[in-house]
Formats: sequence, structure tokens, C-alpha cells
Amino acid sequence: MTDLLQQLVNGLTLGSLYALIAVGYTVVYGIVQLINFAHGEVFMIGAFGALATWTVLFQGTTALWVLPVMILGAVVASVTTAVIMERIAYRPLRGAPRLAPLITAIGISVALQEAVRLFYPGAKSKIPFPRIDVVTGPALSFGGVTVQRAAVFTVGALLMSAALLWWFVNHTRTGHGMQAVSEDKDTARLMGVNVDRIIVIAFALGAFLAAIAGVAQGLLNANVDFRMGFLAGLKAFTAAVLGGIGNIQGAVVGGLVLGVAEALAVGFIPGQFGGSAWKDVWAFVLLIVVLVFRPQGILGARVVDRA
Amino acid sequence: MSTSTDIDTGYADEADQVSIWDRIGRPVAPFAWPLVLGGAVILAAGCFLSWSYTSDVLGNLSIDFYPGAIQNLMIIAAILAVLFALMYRGPLSRLGEWLASATALRTLGLGSTVFMALVIALIGLQSGGLINVMPGAWVSLVGAVLLLVGAAGLTPRASRDPLHAHLPAWLDILTIVVLLATVLFGAAYVLDIEDGTVFSLVVLFTGLVAYTLTRAGFFTWVGIVAQTHRRVLMLGAVAVAFLFPFTQDGSDANMSIATQVLIFASTALGLNIVVGLAGLLDLGYIAFLGAGAYIGAMFSHSAFATIGWKPNFLVVVVIGALVSATLGLIIGSPTLRVSGDYLAIVTLAFGEIFRLAMGNLDGQDGPKLTNGPNGIPAIPDLEIGGFSFGETHEVLGITLGRFANYYFLLLLLAAFIITVFTRLNDSRIGRGWIAIREDEKAAEAMGVNTFGLKLFAFAGGAFLAGMAGTIKAHHDVSVTPDQYIFLESAFLLAAVVLGGMGTVAGVLIGATILKLMPEKLRFVADYRLLIFGLLLVLMMRFRPEGIVASKRRQLEFHEEDEELADRVEEVHLVEEQEAKA
Amino acid sequence: MRSHMKFAVPVVVAALALSACGTRGEEPGTGSTGGDGAKKTVKIGVIAPLSGDLSALGKGIQHSVELAVKQANESNALPGWTIEVAAEDDEGKADVGKNGATKLAADDEIAGVVGNLNSSVSQQTQPVFAAANIVQVSPANTGPSLTRGADGNTRPYKTFFRTCTTDITQGAFAAKFLLDQGINKVATIHDKKTYGQGLVQYFTEAFKAGGGEIVAAQTINPDESNYAPVVSKVAPAKPQAVYYGGEYPQAGPLSQQMKAAGLNVPLMGGDGIYDPTYIQLAGATSNGDFATSVGEPTDATDAGKKFLADYEAAKYAEPSAAYGGYSYDAANAIIEGLKVALKDASDVKGARQAIVDAVGKVSFAGVTGQVGFDEFGDTKVKVISGYKVDGGKWTFVKSENLG
Repeated sequence: MTDLLQQLVNGLTLGSLYALIAVGYTVVYGIVQLINFAHGEVFMIGAFGALATWTVLFQGTTALWVLPVMILGAVVASVTTAVIMERIAYRPLRGAPRLAPLITAIGISVALQEAVRLFYPGAKSKIPFPRIDVVTGPALSFGGVTVQRAAVFTVGALLMSAALLWWFVNHTRTGHGMQAVSEDKDTARLMGVNVDRIIVIAFALGAFLAAIAGVAQGLLNANVDFRMGFLAGLKAFTAAVLGGIGNIQGAVVGGLVLGVAEALAVGFIPGQFGGSAWKDVWAFVLLIVVLVFRPQGILGARVVDRA
Repeated sequence: MSTSTDIDTGYADEADQVSIWDRIGRPVAPFAWPLVLGGAVILAAGCFLSWSYTSDVLGNLSIDFYPGAIQNLMIIAAILAVLFALMYRGPLSRLGEWLASATALRTLGLGSTVFMALVIALIGLQSGGLINVMPGAWVSLVGAVLLLVGAAGLTPRASRDPLHAHLPAWLDILTIVVLLATVLFGAAYVLDIEDGTVFSLVVLFTGLVAYTLTRAGFFTWVGIVAQTHRRVLMLGAVAVAFLFPFTQDGSDANMSIATQVLIFASTALGLNIVVGLAGLLDLGYIAFLGAGAYIGAMFSHSAFATIGWKPNFLVVVVIGALVSATLGLIIGSPTLRVSGDYLAIVTLAFGEIFRLAMGNLDGQDGPKLTNGPNGIPAIPDLEIGGFSFGETHEVLGITLGRFANYYFLLLLLAAFIITVFTRLNDSRIGRGWIAIREDEKAAEAMGVNTFGLKLFAFAGGAFLAGMAGTIKAHHDVSVTPDQYIFLESAFLLAAVVLGGMGTVAGVLIGATILKLMPEKLRFVADYRLLIFGLLLVLMMRFRPEGIVASKRRQLEFHEEDEELADRVEEVHLVEEQEAKA
Repeated sequence: MRSHMKFAVPVVVAALALSACGTRGEEPGTGSTGGDGAKKTVKIGVIAPLSGDLSALGKGIQHSVELAVKQANESNALPGWTIEVAAEDDEGKADVGKNGATKLAADDEIAGVVGNLNSSVSQQTQPVFAAANIVQVSPANTGPSLTRGADGNTRPYKTFFRTCTTDITQGAFAAKFLLDQGINKVATIHDKKTYGQGLVQYFTEAFKAGGGEIVAAQTINPDESNYAPVVSKVAPAKPQAVYYGGEYPQAGPLSQQMKAAGLNVPLMGGDGIYDPTYIQLAGATSNGDFATSVGEPTDATDAGKKFLADYEAAKYAEPSAAYGGYSYDAANAIIEGLKVALKDASDVKGARQAIVDAVGKVSFAGVTGQVGFDEFGDTKVKVISGYKVDGGKWTFVKSENLG
């Protein structure tokens, strides 16, 4: 029983990370029907932004009050990257056939990875992430189940972000604008919604959450690597599709479900195909299965039908 | 009347171009033509003097009256300029009716000036100061500037549409042969250049000449000739490709690059069927290549091969192709019903599943099939009917090493894939794909079996990749999961997209550039991927249809371009007429 | 006309100013090969991870070889020949290594190669060098199958030698090391590559033979950076230590995450984790972790101390790291072989068979002991040392000669 609970805890932690990143994918896809391949790199840049803030301002400190400043640094890095990306690369391609923005996204993803690897000092191998008091340290134990402190931070961050997001989308004008644009762009424009601005805000929103996920991953793994965005991004998109693309609650639910499914696959699939070696494979198999039997995802998709 | 000013059509009627050119050109208009001739002569004269004080910069430019590689390039440019000038006014003016000589001269002038400036800057940089640049280089720069100014002063004339030029067939064929010969010997020469900077300059120069000729309308005519004499072109191209190893004089260095380019190009051509013809976004194509390669490795005589049965290589090729095709069917059936974006992600996921699975099947986490992350090394060379691919053979006095042997086999494979591609393109299936690509719902309404055709494209592309993979295993001597990562799929897609989707020539050019550049430009090896990423972004922004694009494809990306649509229609009608005649 | 003057004057001034800076180059005519033009060139190749995660170890290998070559040139060890170093980066990846090896093998002036670092990469480069008959001496490959074949008793390539001992010895030492401390319940984890898998296999054999119990055996994916699932699978079995087969970029985070998840037992690994970067990545909780490394600590012998002093004096950018001494000995083994084989040779390529034979027969006093190879190409020096992380640094515990 404790085994099951332990794997559930692991799964929820992992799932929260996926959920935070998945929101970015789903929001952008819902509004502009673009799979932002480079979102995984936005997540990675967030982590590096936090690292950079700590290295420049707080070298050597581990006090807790440093953490919000690091998060701020991460958010600044991520949001800047995302907004520039939208402006320079995606906006000119708004009307082009699907292939063009997709290839552009791949190009940006590769370019960002390389830019960090080449120009951030020491990024050619893994860089240790600062240990911050309270959110890292010896694990907490409940019964037979150990919970890492960083895991508590991650899940807590997800809950807070989800709440903030819900309030933003449902109780602010901009949020309503986003809902309108994702339902019908042209009518929204006719109704006076500044569609360009909404799109930029969508990108920024996704980047904001990805930045928090970046800090969480850094605390969990104790290191950052310029390659960390690729697989995480892919899984997060899987999560977004799983929950229902375009649907923000779907992204959160999808992320958690995916994380738990992976953890359970590691723990409980017997024989040779279990264990952590096949973890990623099971995640992707789940994606394919969902797309075959329920393409609209668990909670239903919310995308404009592009005729 | 031309209304769009930012899309360069390069066809007739340049009289509308009002620009900086006229502002520079107006004061010199009376002297324009002699200025052009004079500039060209001075440019060439400067090339015969030495350009650099030291002998180790840009391949020895320091000896008078003995031009080095780069100086020869500028001499060629000067000769071209003289030719165009004579076309504008003088003995070649009949030719000048068809070619836009003034525009060509302007491009040539501008290009030469920029090139000379670049060369002077590089000489200065590499030899420690502009003082090391000898007067010869400055003379050439002056010549280029004069050429530029003179060309600006020439009034552009309307030229006739090459579509209506009717030259005797033997002249057409001669042109094709001459062009192909240039490609063959040019390629051999370029590949031998050791210095990365010289190589880049040569490539730049080639691009400049190609662009000049495009602006002149020369390549439009070549394109039309190529269409009319398709068979000759194909035979010629095959002959050129076949003769290439004989120009290498036994050296294996370039042959190994050539074989890698061929494998990559063959796979890209297979992907071209999926992406270029059927319009399916496949981001996991490398998995099909990998499946073929692993089959080739597992059934080989390697000490690490995991399967006891060692059949004839041709049987292995078929097995590899079939396994890949089956994988294509398995992954295609559920996902081809969903939208294009999902297909991209699912194929990407499948590519990753393949890589991870190959890394895991080592007896511990799965049945012992692939030897895990270490892969299957030490795969012996192919032996087909006693002919061992690993040994060197002597043909007509020229030694052909290991890579040359594989080269011929791969050439055979590439020819096969190209044949399949062109036959499919011209068939009902190909037209079905075009319909699906442009508007799937309409195609379905018209009775096109969209799902069946898409699945056929997917599995067919996989089949071809599997074939290429089995040969790749023997060529590479080892197979590891790390060779089949997503980045490789991205490179393949880039080759197809950058080269020009849906055209054979485009994909070949794209594949050659992507595989050749990193080998030759070793001094930017570290920045290779960064440049690749930026290149993708820039290409999609400014020329999404690729370098060599079929007009139809260009139309898809520039839907609002009325002129282009008219042009496509016009070419199509003329072709129809000629086919009937 | 005036506008032209306004344009022309600054241009002329600028041109003069630019031409004033910069010095005249050398007189054309002096060749690029300076000094005595009559000497022939022979090259020793180095193939190791010069970039990427393992570059700390790879660069140490490269510079140690450069030091050996420098000293040989200065002492004129090969009269009539100048030795050069040709370094290729294998990035720790099998594919890149194979391409680098192909490149080196195509160079006719290469007499021998020092490399690789990773056993899985050597598996790919061995056939390439063997086909060109180029002797390959590895300073760091501990995978036994490289010299003993899949069955343990057939030498697969006559051109391959190594100056470090194999994982059979290393695993056995580690097993004894843990058993001596009273640890008899161990969980093993490896990264599925040749080195890690082999090391864990030999450790397991020796550990069980000594009466210990392996309570869990798991693997990780080296690309993965989150090890929580693996740790959760291993922790319930309550091991007293975790033995890891693999390198430090994974071992460090594994150790850190293990302890953070509550599995507070020492992690022990082989020479792949014995590097200061391990401690950096593993953080403060790494105190108490163990590692083994081949040979005695470099500064324990006089020859070793001299090597370190010479290395220091040559001011290379990176330290010699774990395999510096072995690379130095490997390079010198090749040089000793060249002394015999190149004496009457006119070119390097024709002498390659003679070089392979000569290297097989060398015997000289090196940094790591008396350097010599047995009939499999393995070194005759079978010393392993154990280390412990104490106060943020690796400290020596003990060594043993298992020869």
C-alpha cells in the first residue's frame, strides 16, 4: 500500500510540472492553432534565468527570501523570450500554411538550446542549482511515504497558479477577451477585442507558468541542463492533448493524469517492460491511445474549427 | 502593369523598376556602356596582380601574374560582365533580346563590389592589418565599383519571354551537357578545397553567379529546356553522378562525405513523398530509417548481431523495407484520421518510442534484440555474390575504394527512389495527394479516398527509408540508438523544406547543403546547430517554398500573388500546346 | 561635385588610418614548418570527450599526452622525427567517436592513438583502428570485453591495449571494500552502457561470492535527470548502500536526489564518478559517498609527483584529472614502441605493424608503475584505490594490488 502511495506522490509531483508547462501549450494552441515547439525551451530559459539571478545577486546565500526574487528572474527571462518569439517569428506567419510556423518553431527550439549552451557560462554540462532552505533539504515522511520538500513546492506552486489562472480567465476583462478569441477570432475582433494584444498575453501567460515550472524542476533535480526542455516539453504537450487541447483545466488535469500514469507504470508493470527504462515509452503510448479513442481529450477540446 | 513591387518575378518588363539604381545611374548615363566594359577590364587586370603580402591567406594570393583560386573567380565575373555588356550593345545583341542584361550587370556589379570588399576585409583580418592588402586588390575593387556605377547607368530594356524562344534541339541538349559537365567538375574542385574560408567564398561566388543568371532570365530558359528534354537531362544527371568517383583519383575523403550525402538524400527523398507530395507532417521519419538499419545490423555477420539467421543481403533489404513499412502502417492507421498538427506530435512521439525501445531491448529490459545503448558495432562490409564492398577495385586505371563501392550501390538506390517519386507524382495517386494537400474536405467530397492515399504515402515513404537503412548499417559499420534522435528527423525535414518540397532537384540540393556544409566549414563546427536553427526561421520567413520550388508550391505559400498565378497558368498552357504539337 | 568631395575625403582619411594600423606580415617564402626542415612528422592521436559533460576527464587526457609528446620532442627521443598531437573530440558518444576515429585512421602520419575514455565508444573505434592497423592504447577503458572478448578469453583486436586495469578487478575491490565495512545489503543501479553494466556485473559476482546480498537491481536512462521513480523502487528494499555503475553527470544528481528522498545511505561508484564535479553535482549530502579508481593516487609515487609537477609547470588550462597519469603512460608506451619501430622506417604507414608489435613488448617505469602489457593487451599493474568524500573533497582511504 505504501508503495502505491509513494508512487502516487511521485506521480503528482511529476504531473504538476507537466501541468504547469502544458498550460502554455494549450493556451497558445487554442488561440492561434500553433504547436509552440519552443515552449519547452522557454521552460528551460526560465530555469536558467533563476540560476542567473541567484549567481549574480545572491551567490552563496541559501535563505528562503531569495526564492521569490529567483522566481521573478525566471519569469522575466521566460516572458521576454516568449514575447520576442511571438513578435519576430510567429506574427509574420499568421496566415501561412501549417508547415511554416511548425518548422519555424523547430528552428527556434534548436536555436535557443544552442544559444544557451554556447553563451551561458558553463552550460555545456550540467550546472548545479542552488539549494534553498525550507524548499530543499531532508525529505518529509508521512507513514511509509517520503515526500521531497521540492515536491511540496511544486504541487503548491501548481495549486496557486491554477487558482490565479482561473481567477484571471474568468474574472478579468483580458481573460474574457482570451476566451472570446479562442472561440472565434474574427467575431472577437469585430467586438473590439485587440486580438494581437491577447495573443501576446497568451504567450506571456504560458511563459510565466513555464518559468515557475523551471524553478521547480531546478529545485527537484538539483541541476539544470540546456537539454531539459525537450523531453519535458514533449510530455507536457502530451498532457495538454490528454486533457483536451485548448482547455486550461484540461491541461492541469492532463498533466496530473500523465504524471501519475508514468509513476504507476514504473512501479507496477511487471516483468521486463516495467521499471524506469520504459517510463517515457508508456507516456507516449498513452498519447497515441488517447488520440485514437478520444481525440478530444478527457475534458474536451476547445479549439476553433479551422475550415 | 506590375503592381507588386516586393515580389521579384525576374521575368520580362524591367522598365518599371524605379530605384536607387536610377539615382546613381543618371549622371553617368552617356558613359554607361564604356564604363561597364572598362570596369570589367580593370577588375580582371587587378586579378593578375597580387592581392596579399603574405602567402598563407585565402590560399596564396601573393604572386603576380599567377592568379589564385579567388582571383580566378573574379576573372570569371569580369568575363561574364563583358559578355552581358556585348549583349546589351554589340555583337551579341540578338541574345540580349532574350536576356535582361542590364539587370544582370547591376547584380553582377553589386555582387562583385561586395565580394571584393569582403575579400579585402578578410585579407586584412587574417594577415593582421589592411596594410597587407596589395594594390592589386584595390584595383579590382575599383574595377568592380566602376562596373556597378556603369551598370546603374544602363537603361533596362524589356526582354522577351523565354517561354517563346525556339532554338534547335541540338543546342538545347548541348547546353544541358555543358551545364552538367560544369556541375561535375565544379563539384570535384569545390570538394577539394581544404580551407573553410576559401570554400565559403567559392560557394558565395557560385550563388552570386546563379543569382545573376536568374535575374537575367537564363535559368527560366534552362528550366523550360529541361522540361522539354527531360530524358536527356535525367540521363545526363545519372552520367554525372556515375562519373563522380572517377574524378576523385582514389582518395576516400570526399567519397565518404559523398556517400553520407547520398544516404541522407535518399532518406530525404522518401520523406519528400510523405511531406512534399502528400503534405503529411512527419517528425519521426528517422525511426523508419533506424528500423531498416537495425534489421540490417541484426541479420549481419557482426559479432554482436543478435539473430542467428544470416540471409542473403537482398533478402535483408526486403525484410528491412517491409518491417519499416509495417511500422508505418501501425503508426499511420490510428493517427492519419486526426488533424495535421496532431500527426506531427504523434510521429515525433513515435520517433522517441523507437529510440528508447532500441536502447532498452538488451536482454534486461526487454528481449535481447538490439544490444541496448551500445548498439551493434563491427558490422562487416557487404558481400554480394563474391564482390566485397570493403576492398578497393581498379577500374580503367583509377582506384575505387570502399566508399566508392558503397557510392555506386547508393546511387542505384537513389535512382530507384527518384523513379518511384516521379512516377507517383505524375499519376492519379499524385494528383490525389495534391488535392488532399490543398483542401482535404473538398477532395473527400470529390470522391478521393483520403485515408487510403495518406496511409499509402506514409507506408510507402517508410518502405523506402527501410531500404536505405539496411545499406546504411553496413556503410556506417555500427548502429546505435543515438544516431536516431529527433534532431536527425529535423534535419531531414529541413532538407526537404529548405530545398523545395515536391521537387527532386530541390531535395537533392537541400540534402547536399545540409550534409556538406558542416563537413567543409569545420571552423564554425560549434555553432553549426545554432546556424541551422536560425536558418530554418529565416527561410520560413522569407522563402517558405524552398530554394528550388515548383511553381505550384510557390503559389500555395503566396496565395495573394496574382502575377504568380497568371504565370503558372501561362506556363501550363504553353506546355499543353507543345505536348499536343 | 562638392557632395562627392564630402564623401571622398572621409573615405580617404579612413583608408589611410586603417592602413596605418596592422603590421607587415612576414616575408613570403618562409615555410610554415619552422626550424629544421629535414625532420619527418609522426603523429600521436588523442580521441576523448573534449567537450560536453565528461570534458573534465577528456581534457586531462589530451594535455597529459601533449606533455609526454613535448618532453619527447625536447629530449629528441626519436631522432629525425618530430612528434605532433592530433586531437579529436568524441563527445563521449559512440557515433561521434566512430567518425573521429575514421578521420584519424585516414591520416597516414598517425602512428598510434590514445583513447577512448568510454568503453562504449571504444567498442566503436576499436574496429576502425584495427582495420588501419593503428595501435590504440586506452588510459581509461575498464570494460573487460574490450580485451577479453564476449566470452572472456579471446582477444578481439590485436591493436588495442590499455594502461588501466579492468572492471573485474575494480568490481572485486569494491565488493570487498563494502563487505569489510559491514555492508552486506546493497542495491545496484547502472546506466546500461558497456562500462556501467559491466562494472555492476563484476561487482555483483564478487559481492555475492563474499556473502553479500543484492536487494535491488535497477537501471536508469542516462538522458533522464529525475531519478525519483528509481529511488522509490530501490528504497523499500532497505539497502545499506547503493552501488552505481556509470559516470558522474548522472551519479551526482542521483546521489543528491536519493538522499533528499530519504534514502540516506552512501553511494559507491567506480572510476567514472571519481571527479570533483561529482561532489559539485551531488551537493553537501555527498559526504560519505565512496568511489574506486584504477591505480594508486597519482601523488603517492615519486614518478607521479614529478608528473604532476611537470604538468603544473606546463600551465595547461585544465587539470590532469583522474586519468592524467594513465594517459601520460599510454603516450609514452607508444613513444617507446616508436623508438623501436621507426628506427629504420621511411614512413609511418608502412611501419604500423612494427609499431603494434613493439608496443606490445614495452616495459618501462611509468607514473602508474612498471608499464607492460599481457597477452590480452591488459596492463600488468592491477592496483585499485578506494576514496571517500570527506568535507567536500575526495580523500584517499586505501589501495590494494590485486595482481
